[in-house]
Amino acid sequence: MSRLDRQSFLGPNSDAILADATIGFVGAGGGGSHAIQQSAHMGIGGYVNVDPDVIEDTNTNRLVGGTLADVVVSLPKVKIAERLIRGLQPHARIISVQDDWRAAVDDLKLCDVIVGAVDGFREREELERFSRRHLIPYIDIGMDVHDLGKNGFLVSGQVILSMPAGPCMRCCGFITDERLAQEAKRYGAAGSRPQVVWSNGVLASTAIGLMTQVLTPWYPDPPSFVFLDYDGNKGTVTPNPRMELLKNHVCPHHPADETGNPLFDIRKQRFAARPKAKAEPMSWWRRAWNWLSARPA
Amino acid sequence: MNIRFKIMSALVTAIRRDLQRPHLVAHERVGFISAGLASAHDNLLILARAYRPVPDHQYLRDSSVGAMISAEAIRAARQWAMDDRAAIFHVHSHGGRGIPRFSGIDVRENAKFVPNFISVAPHAVHGAIVLSETAAYGQVWLDGTSAQPFIATFSEVGIPIRTWRAA
Repeated sequence: MSRLDRQSFLGPNSDAILADATIGFVGAGGGGSHAIQQSAHMGIGGYVNVDPDVIEDTNTNRLVGGTLADVVVSLPKVKIAERLIRGLQPHARIISVQDDWRAAVDDLKLCDVIVGAVDGFREREELERFSRRHLIPYIDIGMDVHDLGKNGFLVSGQVILSMPAGPCMRCCGFITDERLAQEAKRYGAAGSRPQVVWSNGVLASTAIGLMTQVLTPWYPDPPSFVFLDYDGNKGTVTPNPRMELLKNHVCPHHPADETGNPLFDIRKQRFAARPKAKAEPMSWWRRAWNWLSARPA
Repeated sequence: MNIRFKIMSALVTAIRRDLQRPHLVAHERVGFISAGLASAHDNLLILARAYRPVPDHQYLRDSSVGAMISAEAIRAARQWAMDDRAAIFHVHSHGGRGIPRFSGIDVRENAKFVPNFISVAPHAVHGAIVLSETAAYGQVWLDGTSAQPFIATFSEVGIPIRTWRAA
């Protein structure tokens, strides 16, 4: 019996399909850390984890796998993700990029699916465009907390599966010029956005369900375009009405002739294997901290 | 260099369906796939965009091959390569299941006409694909002089994503 035995309903070859798959996780914070952890539980074999940030004290309310000890040493979020994965998939193929995702495009181009857990509409749109350009299904998750004045707060969010050629985040009205303009106006003055662990968990779980559906569906003809609304006050995840309306919609925003690199020229192209990542020696204080924190109280 | 060919499953399904249509004089149908290109480390990514069947009147009567197409058909595909800065792949089907292979005639004919595309769109690679009902196989011309490598990995992107190693 394998550790994945209880998910054998995903198909006779599901273990191999999941082990062969490489998933790009852009954002390894509140939403991304949940998604990465679940992927490791599921037996995903390849990971491209991208996040420029290190863990901070205020991340510990939601960053799955992050510890107070990691805060002390300012551990990069991608390193926390790597540790989380190795605990379940010791031989996983992991590429950790502590940088903006635009610094990891070659690694992301080789992914089977990209999961975006990023802030901001501009970044989402760029990530979706990048994914479509390389025929990669893109799954977007995001949450927000809205101040309702006397009525308290509304916790909400969305999960979108954006398949190349199908409806995109503009088609479904999630990304609009108005939203991009508002975001640009707020740029640099947004401050910390409220985030909580449970809503990120719901959204990431839903996203991993969609990712699994793309890799090894467990029922016939699952929808190829998914737009789900999360209402954290009601505790519901429901299909957005546009999901049905856009069922057979052909996206006008990302035409097929945008596929690939428009400036590609085989005569100028140099192909080189990915440079091997340098082994990072653990500092003496990190080793000491680990030793102290591992001691029985 | 590792060569990967990716195509949306809806597109390849439409191509298979189109190639199954009988033709008045030809034993089989052929068409062309246009593709965008990208690189990632030592990988060349061939990303299929669209398909154009060869119109009925551009087939020539020739019983020695499955399908013989006219110079006009080749000219139209060359124009497509130039206009769209696209990679062009000749496509036909052998039917059946599993990973197909080129026949001797395919190998001979591919070597004759694929270089036509390099002369009009040398920035791109071009080639030929043969389909079965469940898989595909293909070869790529990088330029006019180098060896012509085979496509190592195919992916049909849909639900589910299907990937197979062909060479």
